[in-house]
Amino acid sequence: MTNDKKLFIGFVGLFALVNAILLGGGYLDMSWASLGVIVAAGLTISLYSFLYHDNPLFKLAEHIFVGVAAAYIFGIYWYQSLYGEVIVRLFSIGDDPGTTTQRLLLLVPSILGLLILTRLSVKIGWLSRISFAFVVGVGAGFTIPRYISAFVLSQIEPTIRPITMDMDGLNLVLIMIGVVSVLVYFFFSVEHRGFVGGVSKVGIWFLMISFGASFGYTIMARLSLLIGRVRFLLDDWLHVM
Amino acid sequence: MDLLNIDRRIIFVFVFIGVAIPLMLDFSFPIKATEPVQRVFDEFERVAAEEEPVVLVSFSYGASTVPEMQPMALAILRHAFSRDIKVVAICLWPEAPGLAQQALAQVASEYGKEYGTDYAFLGYKPGLWAPIINMGQDFHDAWPRDARGTLVGDIPVTSAIRDLNDFNLVFDLAAGDSIEFWWIPFGVEKYKFAFSGGCTAVMAPDLYPFLQSDQLRGMIGGLAGAAEYEHLMEIPGSATAGMRAQSVTHLIIVAFILLGNAAYFASRRKVTA
Repeated sequence: MTNDKKLFIGFVGLFALVNAILLGGGYLDMSWASLGVIVAAGLTISLYSFLYHDNPLFKLAEHIFVGVAAAYIFGIYWYQSLYGEVIVRLFSIGDDPGTTTQRLLLLVPSILGLLILTRLSVKIGWLSRISFAFVVGVGAGFTIPRYISAFVLSQIEPTIRPITMDMDGLNLVLIMIGVVSVLVYFFFSVEHRGFVGGVSKVGIWFLMISFGASFGYTIMARLSLLIGRVRFLLDDWLHVM
Repeated sequence: MDLLNIDRRIIFVFVFIGVAIPLMLDFSFPIKATEPVQRVFDEFERVAAEEEPVVLVSFSYGASTVPEMQPMALAILRHAFSRDIKVVAICLWPEAPGLAQQALAQVASEYGKEYGTDYAFLGYKPGLWAPIINMGQDFHDAWPRDARGTLVGDIPVTSAIRDLNDFNLVFDLAAGDSIEFWWIPFGVEKYKFAFSGGCTAVMAPDLYPFLQSDQLRGMIGGLAGAAEYEHLMEIPGSATAGMRAQSVTHLIIVAFILLGNAAYFASRRKVTA
């Protein structure tokens, strides 16, 4: 028997023993809620077991997660969108049948949606291009002006505000130096030597600081998720908090 | 050289200890609200001072970010209900409805709020940014019914709402790009309503430029932001408790970074010699 198999059997045995103690000691009662806690604890530990290395318990938990998440999302889409807003309206189910115009208007996106499914067939798959053309056209039409407005025009205005002699003014100067130097760094038509090279180096410093800030925040985010799971294991499952 | 080739599993053990032990011990680090979080708090206070205040809270997160986002959701809902602000909740993420309902039910019962008159839950709508454009034009057309199937025109809290500008504040709880790529370009820029948000820590650095341009009036970033909001509310919750573990683990990580760098420079000096 390999060490990994021994570890696997040992873990399952230990998990069963801990749950037996928790149930026997009255920390968890014989209810569906407690069963949920036990299953969630087992899946949490199984997923974190990947930190040791890949193993069957991790694979099992991973597949359960994918299956449950897919089914849950399908359920939400079905009841709240497909059934709740399309089928109910189109077939006049329920107390609000809607008007004929509303039903006809609903037919247009419904047909476009169904056409996407024709991709499953080699013969009539070309029909899906009509829907994709609509999606791309509408998407580009909506997105391009909105993005220019939100990410370019609205961002330029606070960058070029008048500089004042206080902390806000200092911030503005820093932002201006940052914007200009990073733009110079990404301007590749001129060789980065001499003055341009110096400014571009300042740009690199700004970029490095921004990457550092992003990385720091990422560590914080991932630790928060770990804290959530450890808290669940210690409090909801083991009752040691 | 041993330090440079340290087994990463040793670091994991240290991180686990750094998280678990502070959670079991009772001590605290000082928490001070940062400016973006204070601005969210002030926005809710501004809304509370208005007549018949109502806010739209959009839940755009799933189970994978609950430890960060749910304390934030609870904190802002507590603020809203404690100041008699009416809440209309929607979901733009398919995973969010269960979490939103849980948060609303918990906080509504804490403050004795009634469904329909004090708050409403309209459920999930697909289409990413499309429902935002729709809500800006005609709210009742975008959400004809709530999650229970009642017509929004028959629900007291939503009956008078015509579009997004009828809300005193729109607040998005985002674990993805809904603040940056949905609400700001398709909502705030187009319809010019008051907008604030809460997000995971990963997203926070990308959102600071929108704070400067006032496209985002305030921001709660990650568990730390949620803890700051709990501090402002003077109701310590799971975020405040989590900050003990967060701070200790950050110190452990900083120690490992310093140790790794010291070992690297020492090894380089040895090679040069």
